[in-house]
Amino acid sequence: MTNILELNHIIKNYPDGQQVNEVLKDISFHVQRGEFAAIVGPSGAGKSTLLTIMGALLTPSSGTVSLNGQDISKLSKKQQTSVRLNNIGFIFQNSDLIPYLKISEQLQFVQKISQKPAIDANELLTKLGLKHRLNSYPNVLSGGEKQRVAIARAFINQPDLILADEPTASLDSKRGREVVQIIQETVHQENKAAVMVTHDERILDLVDSIWQIEDGQLKKVR
Amino acid sequence: MYLTFKDLRHDKLKFSALGLIIFLIVFLVLFITGLANGLANDSGSAIKETSAQSFVLQKGSQARLNRSELSATDWNKFKNKYHGSAAKLSVNQATIQKTNNASKKTDITYFMIDANSFLSPKLTSGQKLTNKDNNQVVVSDKLKSSGYKIGSSIKDSASGQTFKIAGFTDNKAYSHTPVIYLNQKQAQKVLPMKTGFNAIALKKNLNSSSKYQVINKKTLINAIPGYSAEQGSLYLMVGFLYIISLFVLAVFFYIINLQKLNDFGTLKALGTDTSYLVKHVLSEMGILAIVAILVSFLITYLIELKMPASMPFSLSLPVLLGTGGLFLLITLISAILSLIKVVKVDPITAIGGNN
Repeated sequence: MTNILELNHIIKNYPDGQQVNEVLKDISFHVQRGEFAAIVGPSGAGKSTLLTIMGALLTPSSGTVSLNGQDISKLSKKQQTSVRLNNIGFIFQNSDLIPYLKISEQLQFVQKISQKPAIDANELLTKLGLKHRLNSYPNVLSGGEKQRVAIARAFINQPDLILADEPTASLDSKRGREVVQIIQETVHQENKAAVMVTHDERILDLVDSIWQIEDGQLKKVR
Repeated sequence: MYLTFKDLRHDKLKFSALGLIIFLIVFLVLFITGLANGLANDSGSAIKETSAQSFVLQKGSQARLNRSELSATDWNKFKNKYHGSAAKLSVNQATIQKTNNASKKTDITYFMIDANSFLSPKLTSGQKLTNKDNNQVVVSDKLKSSGYKIGSSIKDSASGQTFKIAGFTDNKAYSHTPVIYLNQKQAQKVLPMKTGFNAIALKKNLNSSSKYQVINKKTLINAIPGYSAEQGSLYLMVGFLYIISLFVLAVFFYIINLQKLNDFGTLKALGTDTSYLVKHVLSEMGILAIVAILVSFLITYLIELKMPASMPFSLSLPVLLGTGGLFLLITLISAILSLIKVVKVDPITAIGGNN
C-alpha cells in the first residue's frame, strides 16, 4: 500500500510577541490509500494547524509534506490553490456551503473551476440521500443534510485526499455518526485517503487509525 | 460569471436596492447635466450655433459685446482682408409687445446683421431675412411659446417700430431671451442713434491683434451675463455628485463584500483563484451598474419628453453616453476599492470553525 499523504518532521512556529511559539514540534504522519485516519486531541493542541498544513493552506516552518509523492510544502500560493482544487477535498466544521448556490450547483461550481472531467453530480447527491434537495438553497437544509452536501462537494472532484475538520461538531450524536459513516463508506468504496480531525471519541470505532496530538506532538494510538 | 448570476438571482432584494441607489444617482447626474446644457443653450445658442470662430471687439471691452463699439473704419480693414469670412454683428437687448396688447411684453435680444453674411440664420419655417428696407424679420422659435406666429406683428416697446414675423429659426437664444434678427436698415429704425456696431465675427481663427480684443467663441459665450455663474454652479454639483457616488458606492460594495467574506474564504479554500473572485465581484457590480444606467437613460428620456418648453433641458447622445460611461467607470473603481478585503481574505479562515 502506498502513502497518499506523508508528513516528515514538520515544525510550525508562530511569533508570539518577543518569543516564538512552537505549535507543531517535529511531527511525522502518513495515511494510505483506502485508509481513514483520525487525529484527536484537546483544543489548542494544534489539530487545526496540522490540518491546514496537510491541506496546502499553510506553509510549515520546516519539514516536508508530500501528497502523492509531490512535495507541497514549498509551493506558491497559486500552486497551493491548484493543489487544493484538484487533489484535496475539504469537509469543514460548519459545512460552509455557499448560501446563494442551490445544492446541485454547489458541486457544479467546483467542477466548473476545475479542469478535471466531470462526473454526474446529481447522481452523487442522490446516493447520499439528497435527491429531494437538489434544487434547494442551503438555508432550508438540516445540519446533517448540509454536512452530506459538504461530503459530496469534497468527493466531486475525485481527489486522492479528503480532509475533514471536526465534521460532527455542529451535529447531534446520531447525525454525527451517520455523517462519519458516510465518509468512511465513501473512502473505502472509492479507495481514497481521508484524515479527520475530531474530539468526538464516540465515532472513533469507525476509523482505521487513530493519532493523538498533545502539546504539538503527534503519536499513533492505533 | 457563474457565481455572479447565481448571486444576483439569490439576493434579488439586496441587489435591487443597490441598483436603485445607482439609478437614483445616475438619474440625478443626467438631470442636472441636461439642465446645465439646456441653460447653456438658452444662454448662448445664438452665438454658439453660428459658424464664427473668433470675434473682434473693441479693445478693453472685456469680452462683452455690449461694451464694444466699432466703426466703419474698423469694418473696412477686416472686410478687405477676410471678404465673406467676416460679418458685422450688433447685439441689443430690448422689450417687445404684441401690437394690440401692451400689457404682455417679452424680453428679447436683437441681433443686427447683414442678411447676406454668414450670420444670417437658417430657417425652420417661413422666409429668409433680406437686406430690403421692409418690416419682415426672422425670429427664434422660442417666441412661439409667447404666442407669436408667422405673420404676427411685433412692436418694439421703446421705439414703437412694428415688424412682421417672416420666418422662424430654431431655438436661438441669447442670455435666456429669444433672438430677433434685424438687417441694418431695420436696426436703424429701432436704434436711430447707433452709428457703429459691436463686433466683427470671423470664420477663421484669429489669435490676437494689438488694436482690438480678439476672442474665440467660447470666451465670448462665457462672458454672456449670467452664463458662467449658472454653468459653474451646476457643474460643481455634477462634479460633487460624481465624487460622492464614488465613495457611497465604494462603502456599499465594501459592506456587501464584507458580509460575504466567509464565503470568499471557503471558496478560496476549495481552490478558487483570487482572480476568479475579483472578476466575479467586478462583473456583479458592472452588471448592476449597466442595468441601473440603462434604466436612468430611459427615465431621463421620458422626462425630457414631458418637460415644459419654458424649462430648458438638453441632453445630446454623446453627453448621455459619456455620462453613462463615466458612471460605469466610477462603479468599477468603487468595486475595486471594495475588493481589497476580498483579495486579502485567507482561505485558512475556513478551517478550525472560526466562522
